[in-house]
Amino acid sequence: MTPILTGAVTLLAGAVLALALRRNEHRAAAAIASQAVATALVLAGALPVLLHGGDERAALAWSYPVDVIAWHLDPLGAFFLAWSLPMTLAGTIYALGYLRPYFATRNAGVQFALLNVTALSFVMIYTLESAFAFLLGWEIAAVAAWLLVVWDYRNPRIRFAGFNYLVSTHVGLFVLLAAFMVMHSQTGSMDFQAFAPFLRAPGTLRDVTFVLLVTAFGLKSAFFPFHTWLPRAHSAAPAHVSALMSGVIHKAGLFGLLRVTLLLGTPEAWMGWYLVVFSACSAVVGVLYTTAQRDLKRLLGYSSTENVGLAGLGVGVGYLGLAWRQPALVALGFTGGILHVLNHALFKCLLFYAAGAVSRQAHTVDLERLGGLARRMPWSAALFLLAGLASAGLPPLNGFVSELLLYAGLLGPAAPPGVERSLLVLAAALLAFVGGVAALAIARAFGVVFLGAPRDPRVHCEGEVPASMRLPMLAHAAGVLALGLVPSLGLALVEHPAGLFLAALPGAAEGLPAALEPARLLGPVAAAGAGLVLLVAALAALRAWLLRGPPAPAGVTWGCGYGAPTPRMQYTGASFSAQLAGLFDAVLRLVRRDRLPEGPFPEKGGRVNTHCVDAVEQRMFEVFGEGDRLVTGAAHQIPVEPRFSLAAGLLALLVVVGLVVAGAGVLR
Amino acid sequence: MSALLAAAHLAALLLLPFPLVGIVNRTRARFAGRKGPRLWQTFDDLRRLLGKRPVYSRATTVLFRAAPLVLLASTLLSGLFVPLLGAAPASFDYDFVLLAYLWGLGRLALVLAALDTGSSFEGMGASREAAYAALLEPALFLALGTLAAASGHASLAGLLEAGLRSPAEAVTGLGALVALAVLLQVEAGRVPIDDPSTHLELTMIHEVMILDHAGPDLAAVQYAAALKLTLCASLVAGLVDPLHGAGGAAAAAARLALTAAVAVAVGCAESLVARLRLKAVPQYLLVAGVAGAVALLATAWRQGGGQ
Repeated sequence: MTPILTGAVTLLAGAVLALALRRNEHRAAAAIASQAVATALVLAGALPVLLHGGDERAALAWSYPVDVIAWHLDPLGAFFLAWSLPMTLAGTIYALGYLRPYFATRNAGVQFALLNVTALSFVMIYTLESAFAFLLGWEIAAVAAWLLVVWDYRNPRIRFAGFNYLVSTHVGLFVLLAAFMVMHSQTGSMDFQAFAPFLRAPGTLRDVTFVLLVTAFGLKSAFFPFHTWLPRAHSAAPAHVSALMSGVIHKAGLFGLLRVTLLLGTPEAWMGWYLVVFSACSAVVGVLYTTAQRDLKRLLGYSSTENVGLAGLGVGVGYLGLAWRQPALVALGFTGGILHVLNHALFKCLLFYAAGAVSRQAHTVDLERLGGLARRMPWSAALFLLAGLASAGLPPLNGFVSELLLYAGLLGPAAPPGVERSLLVLAAALLAFVGGVAALAIARAFGVVFLGAPRDPRVHCEGEVPASMRLPMLAHAAGVLALGLVPSLGLALVEHPAGLFLAALPGAAEGLPAALEPARLLGPVAAAGAGLVLLVAALAALRAWLLRGPPAPAGVTWGCGYGAPTPRMQYTGASFSAQLAGLFDAVLRLVRRDRLPEGPFPEKGGRVNTHCVDAVEQRMFEVFGEGDRLVTGAAHQIPVEPRFSLAAGLLALLVVVGLVVAGAGVLR
Repeated sequence: MSALLAAAHLAALLLLPFPLVGIVNRTRARFAGRKGPRLWQTFDDLRRLLGKRPVYSRATTVLFRAAPLVLLASTLLSGLFVPLLGAAPASFDYDFVLLAYLWGLGRLALVLAALDTGSSFEGMGASREAAYAALLEPALFLALGTLAAASGHASLAGLLEAGLRSPAEAVTGLGALVALAVLLQVEAGRVPIDDPSTHLELTMIHEVMILDHAGPDLAAVQYAAALKLTLCASLVAGLVDPLHGAGGAAAAAARLALTAAVAVAVGCAESLVARLRLKAVPQYLLVAGVAGAVALLATAWRQGGGQ
């Protein structure tokens, strides 16, 4: 406990220093140094628990109304700590490079201090087991993320995105508060461990609490349909903030879900199905939106919804395994889900960092204006491609490892034969669809931004980014490669966290062979990854031998006989995804603004502008708008018309009585 | 024995694509009233390409040169999981997931190479290829997942060889067969989805993506396409093989004969059916999805106690 507490104090000191120092360089140095020290301290405390198992508890006495802060470090919390803090440190180093152009004119100390505070909130969320302190950490993370998003606060669009995020995250907070209040009312305690007996006993109130908790954590992790704040926030924030929000901060929602699972004992099968359906919807809708976005960072934001859906799918399969008492399903589901959380953090941060490099050097992330950046920024291009391949779940990278475990859980023989097994096969088919569409989305994003020729002559790229931005990217890329080529490395990290869930199964001894199931499945994957790399190398050598001699001549791209092609005639992002988007136009609503040329000899130039809007958000605003109009209209009528006031009063009475009766029924 | 099998499998994997493409072309030629090229014509074509010096567009990067290698390597590697001769040298649980994703990797490499040239024609082909692959992927997993659920096996060789023996499983087998047949047509770029024999840019998918490839690069791409045709034909043959991995040289020869018969069927289909309009392709892919779903429903009903 001592090293982690010391780390927390170091983080706080670093935040204060970042605010107090005079020069932006010193502020950044203070944040980075304090985070490096804190990361080392926290890893020293957390790694033994993560790698060898264990359970450390402590209690801190505090004043009223908190009374006692329960401190608890188990492998699950240690797992989240073990990568959240190093990744925040990498993000802070990246921020040093990313914010440097502003150093002369703006105070970047707030950003660095907030990054420290974010790291501090991880320590709180992942180790504190008192609801009050946990919520405090939760709220610190939310408000810090909001302040980080509105760095460019003079832009009204960014202010709106930040406000939108703030409202959404607090709706989630209220739902979470409601769940904690229910649990507090039933147990009289604010300690998570005291909630366990209540959460283990079957009953309506337990079901309600579960749904409330999943909603709150789903909002935090941006599950569909609670994702509407996410694309706005991610496209508005500075790149390091988008990366940390998407990859690290919002994993707190999944952590909350897993923490609750440990308290829940044996869940019921419907809870598993609820999670599976919820997650599959997130994955499918999220990935569909990634195909149609013009804004690179917005696209990556939707990909977060997809990937938390995949991780949630694993957790849902684990729930089903717990409910059906199938150790193999528990092991595969939770191992796959938890591993995907880490894998997603690794490649999604890298994708955002590379997108940030584009945004910093080319000053736009609009797909339709970019092109051919691979020649100007080869490092960023290669790293974006690597992370993109991983995000599409392609071998031999880390995304494939966790997706294979998900497939093994969904297609395995552990599910009861008949309807249940068939539904899981259906979910596997959806997962395959998600994989295929993700490949299309990443081909489109990478191809349009980095390949071909520049589409807009006004966009000027300033070349490769500085080392301070490349270094964090390389660190993430190393993780992507390592976990992909050596899957046992990832398994070693999630073995004990996933083991907690196996231990929750009655008759844990029979779960021992099941715990080895993921390792058995991934053995051949490691061999195949190595084989693929060797085979490509051998073929490359063969090709070099065939092409020995003078270098190959260079020419122009074959234009199919057309002699004067221009870069404007290249396939655009919109045209690349038009075919698929046309099939799913119920979800992918394309807003089109155009001024077409008129007459046989048009004098004015025409233009077309398409933009893919979020159908959920659009509908939400529509409903709010309509409801607002309805309520305002009715409210105006009430004082004028006696029968309106009577009706309103009766309605209010009915609602109150109904709530009381329903509440009494639930509580009984 | 296993070393012998591995050697035989490797030889079949490397050599079978040439005569198989030859059989398809021969069949098409016969329907057109021509004699057709020799069975090993493809081999000579590729050898000729290997000796040629490619020309690279100035717009391309190193990715364009690497893509054919990645495509060929991933396809070759996936060939180790397919029971070409009744058994596969590398067979493990969920190898079909790896196969599908290796093909996905190769496809993505080719798509990116097409975008690398900056040509709008190649972009068009790349867009189609990626979209159709995404639509086909669920059908493939429905079919193979259903076979896995029905047979209780999780490896490609296992779930094909365990086979569907009882008549009650006929619907499952038929659904999977339809889905795999469509998979063959899409993955190998055959009629009615795509036509490998013309280069009319506006109508094509696979061929238009490789307009700028030449020399050994083009040879790698075409060899990979022939390999995919072989692997898909072998999957279809494995599904209908009555011997079901009986083992031995006779069973292996029978499997090869069945694979050749599938190639003849592909040639017949290409001669008798016109290529679909591109608008109709998603509907055609939906047929594969529905076939997979029917197989799944039949299995669910049977396993759920409907017997």
